[in-house]
Amino acid sequence: MTRLWTRLTLKHLSTCCLYCALTLSTSHARSEWGFDATGGFAYDDNLSNGFEADDRKADTAAVVDLSAGLYEPLGASTALGLSLLARSDAYFRYTGLSNVGLGARAQLRAKFGLGPKAPWLAIVAQGVYHSYQYKYQDGWQYEAGATLGMQLNERWSLRGTIRYDAYVADQTQPPLIPTMVGSPYDVYGWNFGAQTTFLATAADRLSLSYTWRTGTVTSVTQPDEEILEYSDRAAPDPVFGSGGIAYRINANTQTISLAWSHTLGRRTAINLVYAYRRSQAESDLGQYYANLISVTFTYSY
Amino acid sequence: MLACLVSATGAQAAKVSAMVFGADAKPLPNAVVVAVPEDSRLPPMGKTVEVVDQVDKEFVPYVKPVRAGSYVQFPNKDNIRHHVYSFSPAKSFELPLYKGTPSQPVLFDKPGIVKLGCNIHDWMIGYLYVAETPYFGKTAADGRVDLDDLPPGRYQVRVWHPRMEGSEDATLTRVELEEAAPVIVEWTLKLNPEYRPQRTPLPGEPGYR
Repeated sequence: MTRLWTRLTLKHLSTCCLYCALTLSTSHARSEWGFDATGGFAYDDNLSNGFEADDRKADTAAVVDLSAGLYEPLGASTALGLSLLARSDAYFRYTGLSNVGLGARAQLRAKFGLGPKAPWLAIVAQGVYHSYQYKYQDGWQYEAGATLGMQLNERWSLRGTIRYDAYVADQTQPPLIPTMVGSPYDVYGWNFGAQTTFLATAADRLSLSYTWRTGTVTSVTQPDEEILEYSDRAAPDPVFGSGGIAYRINANTQTISLAWSHTLGRRTAINLVYAYRRSQAESDLGQYYANLISVTFTYSY
Repeated sequence: MLACLVSATGAQAAKVSAMVFGADAKPLPNAVVVAVPEDSRLPPMGKTVEVVDQVDKEFVPYVKPVRAGSYVQFPNKDNIRHHVYSFSPAKSFELPLYKGTPSQPVLFDKPGIVKLGCNIHDWMIGYLYVAETPYFGKTAADGRVDLDDLPPGRYQVRVWHPRMEGSEDATLTRVELEEAAPVIVEWTLKLNPEYRPQRTPLPGEPGYR
């Protein structure tokens, strides 16, 4: 029931965002249009969220992230942003993970005062539908949360975020054993994050962020009856090789990331991001970790 | 800061010809050169309306010198709304969200630096230099500006740039202008970096939109 409610509510929210974006785009000529395009490569040395060395699968993807939408000031301090989102990940080795995503985002942003140092609060909700090469992973990814930020001085800024994420797969596979549900890709979690950004030079931004997430994660392993004792959902997953099993567990995940962004011009930047992610299973499965590196180019209009 | 004075000869009207360089010896645009007569005699001024545009989410020009007592219009040439403000002691004002040209220009009657911003687009920064004298100018891309048609006499000449290290007063130099002897003044300024909020969002962030 909860799953159905989540699916319906968030799907309706996404549809509503899309409708509002299209309506405002035709009726409000004064709205500010914007377009952000990011493309590059992303490497993850543990795409499978494997606990054991044999289960850790690494690959690189060519990524494209597009966002186009409008920004409508509702008053002197509040504005609404509505964007259409498109994303693509093309993996070189584990092509079953390659996917295309389409969706929408709504952001309500309030600024408490004048100038760049005024604190601001952004409430964001988005829904993106992902279509994977491995069709059992197709589904909606939803996020909703709030970010509070402020500029401390010309060079330092801080922000804190609370966000809920959920992934709801379209299809349920036949369960591996009768007592389980065959939808291991349905995951959800609460995220609590903090980020500081520093302008190292007039053109170079460094950003350090930390996120703690509590919720469910999907891991993939080779057939292992013991692992099923810790999971409530599992299904076959051939993406990393035949005989693989995807299973869902509860875990707490910590991510530390360091980003460097070099501005090339008023509208363009090159970005390098490194992230270290460690998940601790709530059961005694232990923990897994991943190193993620991405190099991207961003154009903003 | 290094100031260098050279008396030139020639049959020209009294004027100051200024050159401003950065510490890297490259010509420095957007520096404001001001000449203040030591006898404090200034010509009267009528109503003057200057203009600072907003084009492609930037203030144009980036630096605008005006005489104290001038009005300034802030027409918005973009097809979106801007929200112009300043907190500066020389003039604190706010033009809430608007398109087109505001009905009333803003009066700048107190000398000083007025830093301009837009509350929607935090990277938009511009400067008004409100001078106590009508004798001022802004350096072009070649780092040069000529202050023409100055009455002969003794002047205090100084330079200001938004990124300059140190104070404007430290650049002050005295010159004596004669009709037939234009004076060339040169400064070399050390500059601070300009830290502005960036237009491009960081990866994974929606930015202000």
